[in-house]
Amino acid sequence: MAATQLDDQQLIPKLQARDEAALEALMAQYQARVFGLALRLSGNRQDAEEVLQDVFLAVFQKIDGFRGEAKLSSWIYRITANAALMKLRKRPKVQQIPLEEELGPAMTDEGMIAEPVVDWSRLPNDELDRKELGQRIEQALNLLPADYRSVVVLRDVEGFSAQEACDMLSLSEAALKSRLHRGRLFLRKQLADYAMVHHA
Amino acid sequence: MLRCRDVGMLLYEYIEQRLEPSVSQQLEQHLADCPGCLAFINTYKQTMRLSSDLRCRDIPPELQQKLRSFIKTKLSSRRPSFWERLRSHLTGLL
Repeated sequence: MAATQLDDQQLIPKLQARDEAALEALMAQYQARVFGLALRLSGNRQDAEEVLQDVFLAVFQKIDGFRGEAKLSSWIYRITANAALMKLRKRPKVQQIPLEEELGPAMTDEGMIAEPVVDWSRLPNDELDRKELGQRIEQALNLLPADYRSVVVLRDVEGFSAQEACDMLSLSEAALKSRLHRGRLFLRKQLADYAMVHHA
Repeated sequence: MLRCRDVGMLLYEYIEQRLEPSVSQQLEQHLADCPGCLAFINTYKQTMRLSSDLRCRDIPPELQQKLRSFIKTKLSSRRPSFWERLRSHLTGLL
């Protein structure tokens, strides 16, 4: 059954009145993004399924306390991010990522690039190559520690704005920038190493 | 003249389009003359594009069904709150 799209102003009072059709509309509207966000943040399908269920239950149970200071969507995604990151942090720690300087090309004392940099950005020109790189970046994302993964997922995978990501993670813009840039550099290096081996 | 190291330090702001136009222009001038930095920026951007491809846009139908069964079970086993009971009582009086 296709649920009707409702805006926050229509949805919130109905949810507060425990309207089941509103709950259905809420799930239809947000389930795909909640699941996707949980899957990429936790890196685990089972955890993502649990987060999906817990988020909608929490939203329905806590909707009376929702004051509308943030958008309903921001509130839901913040609950999702917190729940998924809690799952991730319960798992054994993954490796630390190298320093920023070690993730870029080697430099001469004069500050110029010391070695050739291969432009593999145009390599995945067929569907198979793109699929391979897609799998590789998924693996690389799962190697990132939670603090880095969270910002990369919110900004680059899910496309939230810097401000939205800062709000969801309670981060300063400086911390977001530092983690996001280092996270991207780490992923780039993993892809570069892979592309060099497979397309040499 | 910007050096490659400067480009590395400005890269994030450049990608996020937060550089002053004059600095951005200097950086682009450097890229026109430096294949190494150009390759690095191209592959940095390609990494971001591949990341965006990881976004899930659908949820499997069986998972949608599982979610609804879970919520239904949880809500039917839940005791109504004081306010819900009061609301229901008052509605009954009207």
